[in-house]
Amino acid sequence: MTLLKRWFVRTRIDEMPPGARIAAYALLGLWSLVVLFPLYWMAITSFKLPVDVSAGPAYLPFVDFRPSLDAWRYIFVDLGPDTFRPYLNSLIVATCGTAAAVFFGSMAAYALARIEYRPPVAAVGLGVLMLAALVAAAGWGGVDPRIAAAACVALFFLLLRPVVRRSRRHLGNDDILFWIVSQRILPPVVTVIPIYLTFRSVGLLDTHLALVITYATANVPVVVWLMFDFFDGVPKEIEESAQIDGATRFAILFGIVFPLVAPGLVATSLLVLILSWNEYLFALFLTTANAQTLPLLVAAQNATRGPQWWNMSVLILIMILPVMLLTLTLQRFIVKGILVGAVKG
Amino acid sequence: MTDMHTPVHDARLGQIAAAQHSKSVSLRNVGKTFGDTRVLRDLTLDVHAGEFLVLLGESGCGKTTALRIIAGLESATEGTVHVGDKDVTRQLPRDRDVAMVFQSYALYPHKTVYENIAYPLVVRKRPKAEIDAAVREVAASVQLEPLLERYPRQLSGGQRQRVALARAIIRRPAAFLMDEPLSNLDAKLRGHMRAELKHMQHELDITTIYVTHDQIEAMTLAHRVALIDKGELQQLDTPARIYSDPANLFVAGFIGSPPMNFLRGTLANGRFDAPGVALEADVNHQGDATLGVRPEECALVAAGEGQVRGRIYSVELIGDHSLVTINTGEQQVVVKVSNTFAGEIGREAGVRVNRERVYFFDRQSGQRIRRA
Repeated sequence: MTLLKRWFVRTRIDEMPPGARIAAYALLGLWSLVVLFPLYWMAITSFKLPVDVSAGPAYLPFVDFRPSLDAWRYIFVDLGPDTFRPYLNSLIVATCGTAAAVFFGSMAAYALARIEYRPPVAAVGLGVLMLAALVAAAGWGGVDPRIAAAACVALFFLLLRPVVRRSRRHLGNDDILFWIVSQRILPPVVTVIPIYLTFRSVGLLDTHLALVITYATANVPVVVWLMFDFFDGVPKEIEESAQIDGATRFAILFGIVFPLVAPGLVATSLLVLILSWNEYLFALFLTTANAQTLPLLVAAQNATRGPQWWNMSVLILIMILPVMLLTLTLQRFIVKGILVGAVKG
Repeated sequence: MTDMHTPVHDARLGQIAAAQHSKSVSLRNVGKTFGDTRVLRDLTLDVHAGEFLVLLGESGCGKTTALRIIAGLESATEGTVHVGDKDVTRQLPRDRDVAMVFQSYALYPHKTVYENIAYPLVVRKRPKAEIDAAVREVAASVQLEPLLERYPRQLSGGQRQRVALARAIIRRPAAFLMDEPLSNLDAKLRGHMRAELKHMQHELDITTIYVTHDQIEAMTLAHRVALIDKGELQQLDTPARIYSDPANLFVAGFIGSPPMNFLRGTLANGRFDAPGVALEADVNHQGDATLGVRPEECALVAAGEGQVRGRIYSVELIGDHSLVTINTGEQQVVVKVSNTFAGEIGREAGVRVNRERVYFFDRQSGQRIRRA
């Protein structure tokens, strides 16, 4: 029993017996190796010539092979604008998409944490029914989609009052939250064709806007899911106190609530930014040349002549650089215990 | 223990008081239902300007809901709320000119003490110089001057309490609302802060509505106590009259420690009878009734004397007095006696009750049966 218990007691590493300490450091060292080796491998590969790569594994620069700046010159000089444009595209698309997702997502999360919604089941059912009717009428009935849509919307609002008055059962905030999060259950590859067709029909293919909209929409559920818990953790009395003190709803949200959930906001933004920065599938379908992003450029190095590992390594290195810098600068915001002292003695 | 022995600063409070504009608060037939649950029923209360009114009751009795309705944090299902002569029933909390101190203090953890206290003026966009002067004045009055640059997490419970008070005072509101503000403090500090609150309210002369479940707090602080049970006002009166002239069985049983003795019996022809109990009653009422008498209005006498006969069931030494429980067979009577009392358990004894201090209640309705 005591032995079992000791397994779960957290010990500081300098309080461990020497044997255990050596074992712990060995394990940690081994894991660091697992994590860092790919980065090291990429770094040295970017300084290799094709011949060094194909000649078999070479581990140490100046010993196993002669470092060369060929790949770097190719990416920055030969490719030049063709590198910088996707870089800029990625920056624009990822930051705008993240900003939109975090803005709308956190608003929704705050509303779900603070306002009680009770949508009647009947209203939701009516909405689904009208949607089905729209699809049937436009798809099989040959009705003009615009007329069908207008008719369905009109019918929905016409029937809403009488239907809702009759229904007693209603959904709650948990159901809405689940519905929002459930949109991530669908594999993206399933949705990519409809999204492609949608953007084609509105003429937005190969634009920043298409990717910004897609990334924002795809990441709103992630933001809502994560931020809901942070907003929920802010004691209600703090906001009530601010209400009585005379603050408006928006003053409370921006002056009291957001500062209190700042760590969550930073962590969530970082996560969404990384998801958007690395996104490949949607970018592949929605862009061709003008709005192409970095992941596509990396993939493009796997060309007809075979994978250009050295070029790919350079690209990946410059691609992870901003993310690393951002993480390091934002890390200090991700602190615990910001709410200490708010309530209770 | 730096919280102790730091009395609030009289002269400063006086200056603040001069600028207060205390107003009356009144509720008219206020009711509140959450779904199918009724938490408040037909509550009518008039709190005079400058009065200290305590809403007293057990947890879940609706007293906090009543306070939140006055603050505007909940809406009344029916009835109206007035502050001064303005109807505020449909107004937002920020337009009601009331300040509130929460049980948990609800300080803004990311703001310093200074910023916390200044917040009500900052959101009202008052000039910086005016805010600064007001903050320093109020902070001085509650002895917070040296702590202005600290954050709430660096303060003790009593200090946080005073920040919450300062934030309420700085507004110079028409009324203070307090929701169990002392319940998070330890017993010693609570007694100290209670005295301080009472003094501050007296100096500021500001209408105060105070919610508590602690009858000692209610009795010591209030000008008048409103006792609430199951969402209904039971009695609204001065502490002395609540204690000595209870309106019904609930009030009689709620107030007083040790609680009032209740004996079930029947009233007939000017007499109250129950097994082991026989006593003259000057009330015109026939039928089932409950007799109430406080332990301090009873005296232990020799067996055969007094209106109650029974055996000693237990003797408890409390400190400055002892409590003796007498078993009459079916019911029990607690008698407060001197702490030198020594009686054997099981011995026969009599109880003489002070007939001037006996209350009768209708068994069905619980209402007091008044003297003829």
